[in-house]
Amino acid sequence: MSWDKHGKEDELLTWKDVMEVERYVYTVGPDSEAFLRGLREGKILGRKCPRCGRVYVPPRLYCEDCFLENGEYVEVKEPYLDSFTTIYFDNREKRLDEPITVGLVRFKEATGGLLAIVQGIPEIGKKVEILEYSIPLRVRA
Amino acid sequence: MKTNLKFRRVAAIGAGMTPFRRRMLETPQELAWEASRKALDEAGLELRDIDCVVIGSAPDAFDGVHMKGEYLAHGAGGVMKPASRVYVGGATGVMTAISGWYHVASGMCKKVLAVAEEKMSPGRPHPQAVFRYIWDPITEKPLNPNLIWIFAMEMHRYMFVNKISKEEIALVSVKNKRNAANNPYAQLGGEITVDDVLRSEVLVWPVQLLDVSPVSDGAAAMVFVDGDIARRYTDTPIWVEGVGWTLDNTSWPNRELAYPRYLENAARMAYRMAGIERPQREIDVVEPYDPFDYKELHHLEGLMLARKGEAPLLLKEGFFDRDGDIPSSPSGGLLGVGNPIAAAGLMKVISIYWQLKGTAGKMQVKRPVHTGVAQAWGDLMQASTVIVMRN
Repeated sequence: MSWDKHGKEDELLTWKDVMEVERYVYTVGPDSEAFLRGLREGKILGRKCPRCGRVYVPPRLYCEDCFLENGEYVEVKEPYLDSFTTIYFDNREKRLDEPITVGLVRFKEATGGLLAIVQGIPEIGKKVEILEYSIPLRVRA
Repeated sequence: MKTNLKFRRVAAIGAGMTPFRRRMLETPQELAWEASRKALDEAGLELRDIDCVVIGSAPDAFDGVHMKGEYLAHGAGGVMKPASRVYVGGATGVMTAISGWYHVASGMCKKVLAVAEEKMSPGRPHPQAVFRYIWDPITEKPLNPNLIWIFAMEMHRYMFVNKISKEEIALVSVKNKRNAANNPYAQLGGEITVDDVLRSEVLVWPVQLLDVSPVSDGAAAMVFVDGDIARRYTDTPIWVEGVGWTLDNTSWPNRELAYPRYLENAARMAYRMAGIERPQREIDVVEPYDPFDYKELHHLEGLMLARKGEAPLLLKEGFFDRDGDIPSSPSGGLLGVGNPIAAAGLMKVISIYWQLKGTAGKMQVKRPVHTGVAQAWGDLMQASTVIVMRN
């Protein structure tokens, strides 16, 4: 990157090394497992708090306010676009050939939401159609 | 002599933990929630009663999520509350309890939930890789040392200076795994012999497989409340009477490895606060940090429960057994219960809390206990945290 000052290696101004664990294997947890199975069946699942009735998407083992174990899984419907953005540069400052639109998709009467790649003409509040049940979700506005 | 500090009295009224296991299916947040929920249940409180949350967790790189304090917050009940994260390496667990204590002792909060979580299993090939970068990047790192090497050198130095044999040290592992057999949360309880330890695989001489604690996932949580209101919730509050912590120099080569001077300083701080003048006479039960078997002996000496180099003699006489004079690691310690870093430290505090409350079940020690000490240790073997509790 342009603002980096380069030291001279032979004068030992710098010492180069990497700092990484080779890779991670995350456990998805019982709720994400249910969620991923749901995706495979073309369903978006949420989980409902038995006390306050809030539906968490993606499903959550516990309600973060009532602090009780959540109850049944419910299929959430009517996805809409809560907000969106259009990306022109990637994380390494490279200009993308085609800009990408990503959005936050929420569901009617549910808490939370999912990140999605958005096709079509996005508009805040607009209903969307889910094209691909995957991570990330692919939707058409 | 008690110190002349002015602070509010603090009582522990609830504790909970998850089982410690090699690969828990739950996510870190779910583990934190399970432990927190159990602690609130034991205290008879709901999350809305809690004023403030303290979260303890060691390096982010273990769970593989950066900003782990924030990540754990909703599982630990910290959303929309004053929440903070504590991190002093392996000493984090006890520091989480200490931090919970000073939130209440200062008068800032009445009821605090202190939660510690660690998931060691996601990193590949082994969580030890996380420790690759705690060294001086230029003078030490190029040899790629890991912590086991350095502890092996500390162990060797401790054995040399005090003329201690491997057999004597192996007794710690035998005792702790035996104690852990009575602990429903334990990962590695069981009956083993000194021979088993000596015949186990050599990892980094003199450290063998059964000399060292396992890789574990788990969480633990405690509830601390203001002394004035503690008896609303329980007839048997357990009082936090002394706390102490010290950080030694990160340049570990500058230090005598055979004796943890920094721990002695932390212990003196906690004992002075609790009015303890003769630790060996006044302390009834102890949970020293034991990621390696020699560390328990090392720490018992640093806690001044044995003279320098004499902890192995007392151990051999049964002084530290569950039916001995000062039972040490009655829970089974890290060697028996498991070692999810921060959660393991808080597990030590919980063990003392349950012992003093008399609710330790099959882990309960034989003699009546009134004063207990829990201790953790970490960073580049330079930090120690000590807590003294009474019933």
